[in-house]
Amino acid sequence: MTTINREATPEGDNIKGPNQLHNDLHDIWGNPRGLKALTIVNHTTLGLRFMVTGMVFFLIGGLLAMLVRTQLALPDQDFMSPDIYSQVTTMHGTVMMFLFAIPMLEGLAIYMIPKMIGARDLVCPRLTSLGYWCYLFGGIILSFSLVLEMAPDSGWFMYTPLSSSEYSPGLGSDFWLLGITFVEISALSAGVELVVSILRTRTQGMALHKMPLFAWYILAMALMIVVGFPPLILGSILLELERAVGMPFFEVAGGGDPILWQHLFWLFGHPEVYIIFLPAAGIVSTLIPVFAGRPIVGYGWVVFAITVTGFISFGLWVHHMFTVGIPQLAQAFFSAASMLVAVPTAIQVFVWLATLWLGKPKMKLPMLWIVGFLIIFVCGGLTGVMLALVPFNWQVHDTHFVVAHMHYVLVGGMFFPLIAGLYYWLPLFSGRMPSETLGKWGFWLTFLGFNGTFLIMHWTGLLGMPRRVYSYETGMGWDIFNLLSSMSSFIMSAGIAMVLLDFALHFRFGKPAKHNPWNADTLEWANSMPPSAYNFVSLPKIETRHPLWDDPNLPRTMAEGQHSLAVATHGRREMWGTDPLTGKVREIIHLPGNSWWPLFAAMALAVVCVSLLTRLYPLAGIAVVVAGLFLLRWSWENGAHPKAAPDAEVAPGDPPLHSRTMDGPGLWAMSITLLANGSFFLSYLFGWFYLWTVSPEWRMPETSPLSLVGLILAGVALTAGVVILEKLVRGLRQGKDAGLAVGMYSISALGFVQVAVTLWVLLSADLAVTETSHDAIIMVGLAYALLHGGLGAVLTLLQGLRVGYGFVGAHAPFEPAVVAQWWRYNLVTFWILVGALAVLPRVIGS
Amino acid sequence: MRLIIQRLTQQRVNSLGTPLALSVGLLLAGCAGDKSILDPAGQAARDVVMIWWVMLGFGTVVLVLVTAFWLYTFKRKEVIRTPAEERTIARRWIIGGGIVLPVASITALLAFGVPTGQRLLPLPLAEPPEVIEVIGHQWWWEVRYPGAEGGEVVTSNQLIMPAGEPVDFHVTGADVIHAFWVPRLGGKIDMIPGRVNKIRLEADEPAVFGAQCAEFCGAQHAQMQLYVEAVERDEYDAWLAARQTEALSSLAANDQQHETAREAFMTHCASCHRVAGLSSGEEGPDLSDLGSRTSLGAGIMAMEEGAVTHWLKHHQRLKPGNKMPPHDDIETATLESLGAWLETLTP
Amino acid sequence: MSITMQRLNLTHPLHFVIGLTLWCIWFVAVYGGHAVACSVAPPAPEQGVFTLVNVMLLAVSIAAIALLAALTVGCCRMAKRHEGRLRFNATVSAGLYLFSTLGVVFAAMPIMGIPPCL
Repeated sequence: MTTINREATPEGDNIKGPNQLHNDLHDIWGNPRGLKALTIVNHTTLGLRFMVTGMVFFLIGGLLAMLVRTQLALPDQDFMSPDIYSQVTTMHGTVMMFLFAIPMLEGLAIYMIPKMIGARDLVCPRLTSLGYWCYLFGGIILSFSLVLEMAPDSGWFMYTPLSSSEYSPGLGSDFWLLGITFVEISALSAGVELVVSILRTRTQGMALHKMPLFAWYILAMALMIVVGFPPLILGSILLELERAVGMPFFEVAGGGDPILWQHLFWLFGHPEVYIIFLPAAGIVSTLIPVFAGRPIVGYGWVVFAITVTGFISFGLWVHHMFTVGIPQLAQAFFSAASMLVAVPTAIQVFVWLATLWLGKPKMKLPMLWIVGFLIIFVCGGLTGVMLALVPFNWQVHDTHFVVAHMHYVLVGGMFFPLIAGLYYWLPLFSGRMPSETLGKWGFWLTFLGFNGTFLIMHWTGLLGMPRRVYSYETGMGWDIFNLLSSMSSFIMSAGIAMVLLDFALHFRFGKPAKHNPWNADTLEWANSMPPSAYNFVSLPKIETRHPLWDDPNLPRTMAEGQHSLAVATHGRREMWGTDPLTGKVREIIHLPGNSWWPLFAAMALAVVCVSLLTRLYPLAGIAVVVAGLFLLRWSWENGAHPKAAPDAEVAPGDPPLHSRTMDGPGLWAMSITLLANGSFFLSYLFGWFYLWTVSPEWRMPETSPLSLVGLILAGVALTAGVVILEKLVRGLRQGKDAGLAVGMYSISALGFVQVAVTLWVLLSADLAVTETSHDAIIMVGLAYALLHGGLGAVLTLLQGLRVGYGFVGAHAPFEPAVVAQWWRYNLVTFWILVGALAVLPRVIGS
Repeated sequence: MRLIIQRLTQQRVNSLGTPLALSVGLLLAGCAGDKSILDPAGQAARDVVMIWWVMLGFGTVVLVLVTAFWLYTFKRKEVIRTPAEERTIARRWIIGGGIVLPVASITALLAFGVPTGQRLLPLPLAEPPEVIEVIGHQWWWEVRYPGAEGGEVVTSNQLIMPAGEPVDFHVTGADVIHAFWVPRLGGKIDMIPGRVNKIRLEADEPAVFGAQCAEFCGAQHAQMQLYVEAVERDEYDAWLAARQTEALSSLAANDQQHETAREAFMTHCASCHRVAGLSSGEEGPDLSDLGSRTSLGAGIMAMEEGAVTHWLKHHQRLKPGNKMPPHDDIETATLESLGAWLETLTP
Repeated sequence: MSITMQRLNLTHPLHFVIGLTLWCIWFVAVYGGHAVACSVAPPAPEQGVFTLVNVMLLAVSIAAIALLAALTVGCCRMAKRHEGRLRFNATVSAGLYLFSTLGVVFAAMPIMGIPPCL
């Protein structure tokens, strides 16, 4: 039997039924309907949800933009009052950056990566689900502020003191700070997951240097998210504490510094734009070889360029702050680094050109958008290099020139490749082709409309028009240009509407696509179109970078179950866990099925968010506890738990289940999460040292309020705990689990001792957190230590219990190693904290 | 046939010529403007404009060439090459375009740009330059002349500076972050609470310049204009002398005509506004020389007869959200007399 | 061979990120060091470029350049000795170390031309 209709399957007509296999796999992997659809953890569904939700927010952001352009079309217009206008511009930027750009690309990565690397799902499916719900709820909460006319209105970068409680009373800033932090949970969880999935779940034989370039791009993007988002999370927490409690981190009178906010924001903000650009460049690097009909020229060059971009982008942030009054030599470092980042981008542009030059490119609809990308993005990149020059920057900073530059790189560098990618992968999503006519019209209207709107804006900026002005007077020479800009924006909207219409309509009216319609080389096209819930019936062994070009039969043989792991008899969702460097198979990773826990946890977190927003702190406290309980319950259903993989049977010759080894994906996920945590901690240390050295009215007491004896005592308890834990883990590595439970309980007790003593140090310090930034920031540091110590103690307590239940032991040694990572991290950060907060001030003096 | 083509092409060239000349002319004319970066009136601004045109030219060439090459690849006929040839060609593109081109460009740019920035720095000079302090408020400008002979001079929303010599501006913010920017003279600098930032500007010749707050500072950010005028040195000194506290106090106090207005001022306005010799309020702009200013409300309306009264009556409508309370409680007659009196404060 | 020794071998892809990490550490040291020096002991403007601050920043930069250059050369040599996956790793690492070296050179140039703290 063959399936036709809207699905093009690789099996074709003559192949005898893998249908029993398909049914078995479908039983395990299939998506439920109705209310239970809320429990889906499958990456294909969640990826689509991310993308559809992203598109909705795009429309909201776009509508806000049209309001702005309508007001600015003519001088002296104020149909939107200055207050409303500020809300509209702030929300346009916020929605586009946080609720559209990142989630959209995340969604594409979540959808595509497992398929490209020959896996069946991402490595922590429930985490994907949590990420989606946090994004949805956070986005709804933030957008709701518009309905209430209480949206944030201090600009999307929320500079203090404007965004602080004195100059922005009311809930606007709080909506931003709380809503965005909520949404960032989704970015961080996607970041962690994508890193671990790319490093550990590639199919057999897919060594690091054989994986698709898109996977390299997403790996870099994910690592950048992990390191780049925490500074903003810290900043948001500090600003919210300042607004809600009065802790003066950014307020001069209390010893704070408004520039600290700028540093924390831009430490995130600059990597953010490369986080947005890299996946889009990944789309370009994927499409060009396919449409040029040849492998990309210079795979190694691209890996090089991606790595350089990823790192250097963290050294550029002050170029957003050139007018702040920083010394010229310091500015020169950032100016030089900002220009340096043009090199890896140029390398990519010329790799693409060389590939086209040496191939036989065809101008299909996706390629039209790629060419549009090239023109617009290169233009934006060139104005970016101009902006890196300090004297020029001093003139055009905060004018429409910068607005123009930013839209050129973001729309050119993200939106155009995104549409190209969506057109390219549309047949995979739906099994149908879009309309060429609508597509071409959509392209030209968008391209011409975009350039009309934003090219002119460079000029208005050079004529002196500042940004974020709700109106302007006539006679400056700005009138005609603003009118042309606004008119073009309507053309651009028409183009975008046409594209979205094309996408929407094709699901119903599109021509059914033949299998692998573009003749692509990467594994995602080995799927049926649309893909099945489990992606592949069997997982192949890969020899080269172009599996589908080297073996056009591969999709069929995979669908026939001729390759590996074509098994559903254990009732588990399974895929390979492979060595990150060589692609050799190491274990079988078993994945959890559909679950309510992510939704429940996200709902509890939404209650936390809303109750903090409305200052109902007791409710927030309860909701935090409830969320914690949900998360811990979720973590309980792991490993050898009956709901996960209670029996460890595998087919003869197969490697063990990951939860029966000491090096599964959970260990990696913990390490990457700790990388994010470490970035947060480093940002905190930066804040402490920054305020100490630079803050204009910093006040530090003669003697430190922190009891050094107490801190050392707490540290000793922590160290003792780590020593015992390391011993237990070493034992497990050798297959010994004698005294495991008792050991865990004692470690837990030591952890609670550490927490108790640290709490005593905090209370006895009698910190005046609303009076000096010194006391406030110390409080934050100690709270950090308490939270981490507490969580460590709880985790080992749970481990002790799980030993009792038989979920953890020599037969399932996986989890203690993961918990040990957390304790090691605590150990390092606690002692650094003691040194920075209590020892250094005693040694140096105030 | 050839003749026809010749004539056609000539027509094309000719017909291109006039619009081209016109557009360039319009363009250059279109560069002019009160706040136009492209209409420099000082050396620092001139240097930036020059770099801009060079960067624009170079950037355009790069963009056009790269686009042309990309588009060309779709048109060419396929050429069969050996893998070794392909590798060489690829390497040429990648190293030439991806490394040599950007590195050469940015080295040139940096070598050019860094010395240019020096001009704006308040480095020590043989003769210390004039210092003018500007403090940004929501949504008006406080301007102070600490070095004026005879004592500090204070005014608001009006900045007179000497032409033909370097002037150091020391700026800060009183509430939120603002930015001081005179586009025709040089770059901008942020006015940050708790800090004093410094920038050096020099106007070639006497002229009037537009200036506007350049860091989003709240609802009326768009209506925070500063009138900047550079004048000859002696005119500048005279302007300052006329605004010495003694001179201004006598102006305010010796005025017999406006007794009632002055009383009203002391009752309703003195707690926020300073008028030399009468009050020392600091919440709102100094009004001691209000009559001599070019505009009101930081650029909302021109200073003409009746302007102040109009402002007093309708300021919340003209600049909604501004920090002065609405004055609905004050009688119209009082407002009118206040306005009339304030207009006379012209040193 | 222990895991650590394996990772230190110049053909390990960990070296993809070590060069740029060192660049980042250099950058933080130079930017932060400059900030602290200017806050604690700013030199007189008349000294121009010839200050202790400039000398120390330059010294740190030269040390970073030397380290990164050595690693570049090491990876180049390693690449020639291997094939396939290990050669790919070493080549890309060599390129990244080279970029990091030149990145320090480029971003350090202002130290020789601009006085600190102004």
